[in-house]
Amino acid sequence: MTIGAPILEVEVLVIGLFVLMVEAFFERIDKRTLAFAAIFGLAAVLAASFFLAPAPTDVATTGFWSFYTADLLAIFFKRFALVTTILVLVMMVDYAPVVRQSVHGTTHQSGLGEFFALPIFTCVGLMWMASAIDFVMIFVSLELVTMSFYVLVSFTRRNPATLEAGVKYLILSALSTGFLVYGITWIFGVTGETNLARVTAVLADPALESGPALFGMVLVLVALGFKIAAVPFQMWVPDVYQGAPTPVTAFLSVGSKAAGFVVLLRVLQPFFMMPQMVKALTIIALLTLLYGNLAALPQTNLKRLLAYSSIAHAGYLLIGVVSFAGEAVAYYLVAYLLMTLLSFAVLVVVANQTGDNIEDFSGLAKRSPFLAFAMLVAMASLAGVPFTAGFLGKFYIFDAALRQHQTTLVVVGVITVACGFYYYLKVVRAMYWDGSSIDAPVPVSRLSRVTMTAMMVAIVVLGVYPQPILNALK
Amino acid sequence: MVTLGQYLIVSGLLFTIGFAGVLLRRNIIIIFMSLELMLNAANLSLVAFSRFRLGVDGMPNYNAQVFVFFIITVAAAEVAVGLAIIVALYRARQTTHVEDINSLKF
Repeated sequence: MTIGAPILEVEVLVIGLFVLMVEAFFERIDKRTLAFAAIFGLAAVLAASFFLAPAPTDVATTGFWSFYTADLLAIFFKRFALVTTILVLVMMVDYAPVVRQSVHGTTHQSGLGEFFALPIFTCVGLMWMASAIDFVMIFVSLELVTMSFYVLVSFTRRNPATLEAGVKYLILSALSTGFLVYGITWIFGVTGETNLARVTAVLADPALESGPALFGMVLVLVALGFKIAAVPFQMWVPDVYQGAPTPVTAFLSVGSKAAGFVVLLRVLQPFFMMPQMVKALTIIALLTLLYGNLAALPQTNLKRLLAYSSIAHAGYLLIGVVSFAGEAVAYYLVAYLLMTLLSFAVLVVVANQTGDNIEDFSGLAKRSPFLAFAMLVAMASLAGVPFTAGFLGKFYIFDAALRQHQTTLVVVGVITVACGFYYYLKVVRAMYWDGSSIDAPVPVSRLSRVTMTAMMVAIVVLGVYPQPILNALK
Repeated sequence: MVTLGQYLIVSGLLFTIGFAGVLLRRNIIIIFMSLELMLNAANLSLVAFSRFRLGVDGMPNYNAQVFVFFIITVAAAEVAVGLAIIVALYRARQTTHVEDINSLKF
């Protein structure tokens, strides 16, 4: 039995609406049941994505298939979005007590259903974005993602820091939307098309005046730079990551960034023959690497540290984009998903007991050896220790860059990796060598324990046997 | 007869005014208004491009005009969510000035 690819998004949308309806009309039930139902539903959709009917490969001139594609890249990132959302929902169940304290409501679980429904709508947006091959579609799905994130980031609104993060995210995201739309306008003005394939065809004509289109593309790049947190469009990242509820931060750093990179890979295609574009991206990648890694060094708050680390990883991913290495970028994103979500999952559990500063992790190895070991694996992978997915990801990226003779990028990349070892291992040192005033064990739910173990296993297995991911795009 | 160039200049001016407003003004509501101005600059030039780039059959390129409707819809949704967040901020802090929103720093 096979199904068409567009059905997947409809299914996820139905799950989201179901959760929202139950939240609205059934006050009495335990809202965490909704999260478990949603996790189960999304897992079913993920399984369904392996039984897809082949989509039409040629780009249709009109109608649905001129907006939507179901190629390997799209399917790969649909699964990526589903896995991310499932893991984020698991984290959100652990985070539920904090939401309860910081949302006004009549019953003690008011609003919790919305907190579980919004990531599902975001997931729909991410999945559509993975398939979008028309600027209109890219814009609308990007906005669906951004709009759900506006609400999610400022969700725990009794906490002033969260509201502040929400307003900052709102203003800067809306600004990037303005740039995106104006950029698309100019590309449309020159080519008369919004479909990416036809834009490419028109731009290939050497007689065409390409200046205004390049101007438009620069504006679109600015907008995508916001999404992927590339320097100099990264100023929102540390504040928003620190202020937002932790599971939302995790979602933002993985989902939003991955979607930005898919769109970037697709949108850049018409413009890659222009040497100015490659040069501009190289400079952005260099700045992002240096800024992200250097600014992470003095951080004392783990959420903020992970924010700068997320900027740094955007730099490594951009090296892959500049070197035209789509597969290396995809592999790196999978590794990034696993290690980032694992560290955030541990952070949510530990922060429930103490706080999210690095010193709150002191002596974690004694309080909870399991959590400390999970964090150790995540940090080792983020730093790039061999036999982890993070190491192989960086290896593939640097390998691709060397083949394109991007020596400067590789040199700076390797130096900044060394820099990364310092601040990631700072967390490990706190956990294993520093003493702690508290020695109460940290409670971990069985669901998170299973999920964390799965992520740890995946990091190590993909670190020695990367073929499943590499083959998925062939 | 108004030319395409004149429409584009007006739209460019709108975009610049909007962007300058975001950078220079200190009240979040006014910053938000400026953001809407930037979106409308894009709308204006999209409609102008559509009207002046006639297809082979002499009809305007309707892709752009449909895109404008999408932009208007999204902008409306953005205002709905955005103003709600700003109102929540005002309730918590009794201010909408950006200088007062600076607790998140390292």
